[in-house]
Amino acid sequence: MSVAVKLLITFLVFAGVAIAIFIVIAVSTKLPPRDQHEVQRRGYAIRGWWFMGLCLFVIAAFAASIPFYPYMSATAALAPARKVPVIAEQYAFIMPSHLPVNTPIIFEVTSRDVNHDFGIYNPQGHLMAQVQAMPDYTNYLRVVFQEPGQYSARCLEYCGIGHAIMAKTFTVGGK
Amino acid sequence: MIITSDKTGRRVMNLYMGTGLALTALMMLAGLMLRVSQAGWMPMSPGQFYALLTLHGAGLIVALMMCGMGGLWFLMRRETSLSASTAVVAYSLVVAGVAGVLISTLFGGFAGLYTFLAPLPFHGSWPNWSTGVFLISMALITLGWMAWCLQMLGAVLRAYGGLRGALAWDFVWHRQAFDASGRTAPPPQAFPALMAGFDGMLAGMSAMLLGVALIVRWMDAGVLINPLWAKNLTYFFAHTYANLIIYMLVALIYVGMPYATGRKYHTSAVLAVGWWCSMVLTLTNYFHHLYMDFVQPGPFQYLGELSSYLSALPVTAVTIFGALMLVWRSGMKWTLGAIFMYTGLIGWVVGGIGAEIDATVPFNVHLHNTLWVPAHFHTYLVGGCLLFAIGWVFLCVESRSQRRTGALMRWLISLLTFGGMSVFLMGFYCAGAYGVPRRYSIEPPPGPDLAKVASIGAIIMMIGFFVALLEGVRLRFGYSNAAACGEKIQGAGA
Repeated sequence: MSVAVKLLITFLVFAGVAIAIFIVIAVSTKLPPRDQHEVQRRGYAIRGWWFMGLCLFVIAAFAASIPFYPYMSATAALAPARKVPVIAEQYAFIMPSHLPVNTPIIFEVTSRDVNHDFGIYNPQGHLMAQVQAMPDYTNYLRVVFQEPGQYSARCLEYCGIGHAIMAKTFTVGGK
Repeated sequence: MIITSDKTGRRVMNLYMGTGLALTALMMLAGLMLRVSQAGWMPMSPGQFYALLTLHGAGLIVALMMCGMGGLWFLMRRETSLSASTAVVAYSLVVAGVAGVLISTLFGGFAGLYTFLAPLPFHGSWPNWSTGVFLISMALITLGWMAWCLQMLGAVLRAYGGLRGALAWDFVWHRQAFDASGRTAPPPQAFPALMAGFDGMLAGMSAMLLGVALIVRWMDAGVLINPLWAKNLTYFFAHTYANLIIYMLVALIYVGMPYATGRKYHTSAVLAVGWWCSMVLTLTNYFHHLYMDFVQPGPFQYLGELSSYLSALPVTAVTIFGALMLVWRSGMKWTLGAIFMYTGLIGWVVGGIGAEIDATVPFNVHLHNTLWVPAHFHTYLVGGCLLFAIGWVFLCVESRSQRRTGALMRWLISLLTFGGMSVFLMGFYCAGAYGVPRRYSIEPPPGPDLAKVASIGAIIMMIGFFVALLEGVRLRFGYSNAAACGEKIQGAGA
């Protein structure tokens, strides 16, 4: 299952549950009305549980996401890797056309003019990694290409009227 | 006691909301043209596309902001001392700014987008004068906004005994002494007013700081602006503005939903604390816009995710939950006003879910600056803010009209509007999940196919809004000579 499908399913499940709750509450207005104090008494009890449950969920989700952050740790930065400079400019990426497979690569991404974004799409067309390309700064993006094939880099930060054509294809492996 | 017969207040509200809704309609048409162009049905040159996108983004944010400003101002004028002339001056500044944005984009071709991320405004293919007009226009809009915020903040602080009183600090922490003193807590709508005034001033100051720097850079090309500093300021004010729109419009929910359900909504300690949290978290959420700026100090990235998650707590556990308790077994009549307001709550929640997914750093790697971003903010701007504003207008009109909307018409409007909106929004979400970049005049697959589906959805949605407009006009011609808009609503809700 691709990342895209997983993201959509996650969204649709949460949104579907929320919409279902709203529909149930809307339909309840067709039932005989209840006194507001009675509704509040039971509602406040439910709210307490909802609040605690949501707090736990939020903290758990935050903790669970941290190991997957894309930022390089000090250990990873010092590990052997091939350094690949990427210079973005309106409307092109200056970078090598061939990169090795199964080799840690650290892209050193910067810009000559305005803000750009270096987004890497795998051979199936899925967005697999990205980092901003900023003037005056260098961002370091660590990637290991595990699959040979033709990849593409696209600009994902609006950079002017040629933004949509700012792309570069490169080959991984095979050379 | 609530002031009744406030014709001036009503006129100011109508001025803001009328202009805001008319501008929203125009910007929706502009947005439709953009999606149709991406679908390949009406190709535009990149220059035209991005100039229109700049106008669409800036215009829609300002339009909905005006709806919030007008609605909240009207409600708070009944509670505090608010000068109509100051509100009109603020309105004039905003409108002058909007006119400048129109000139710079439609005639000058300025296409630096509404975020005008430095140094892009100075590296474009548009004439230099249009950059200057755009920047000065945005500064005018910000000045108008700050005048409104300052007036609102001053009025709230005066009315409730300073910041401590406006926050309901003693009401929360020293309840017995507070009750014994005979004081009463600020009404629920005073909290969004305080937040809009306080956070809005901070956002406005940062916008002006950046705006002045950019105007100086426009006048002297030798001036250097740090891009990371500019990016932080840009997203701080832009994110705060966008969030404050919905928080301002929540005030209409606090008054409108009690009217629609025939129930009461009072300030509680939980409500006050929830708003304190929202006031802080809204200022720290913006860090999630810079997740892909790896040079941003690391703690801010963690704070961005945590803050974004935590901001869901007061929204869902206080305001949304409170509104749902009002509706549950209330016997509420589903007039168009009630339908729009209630559906707006759904749009807020669903848009929030999309936002929380995007605010999760590992997911953001796949979603940052894809069409997922406009997906979630269109959900809460069009599916939330706009529906709150339209719902409020309908509640006002329905409260004065002797005519009623038939069930068939309510179903027709609901199906067209919300059905079309769902299709329109899912076009964004699906494309975003598949990594289609945002702000592309020509999109890679599957963008164009999804843009076709989204365009059809948008057309159906806009037909629904148009039918609603016609129904609103029909109701308007059925006015009785009874109490004016807002009087009945406040009378029932307070």
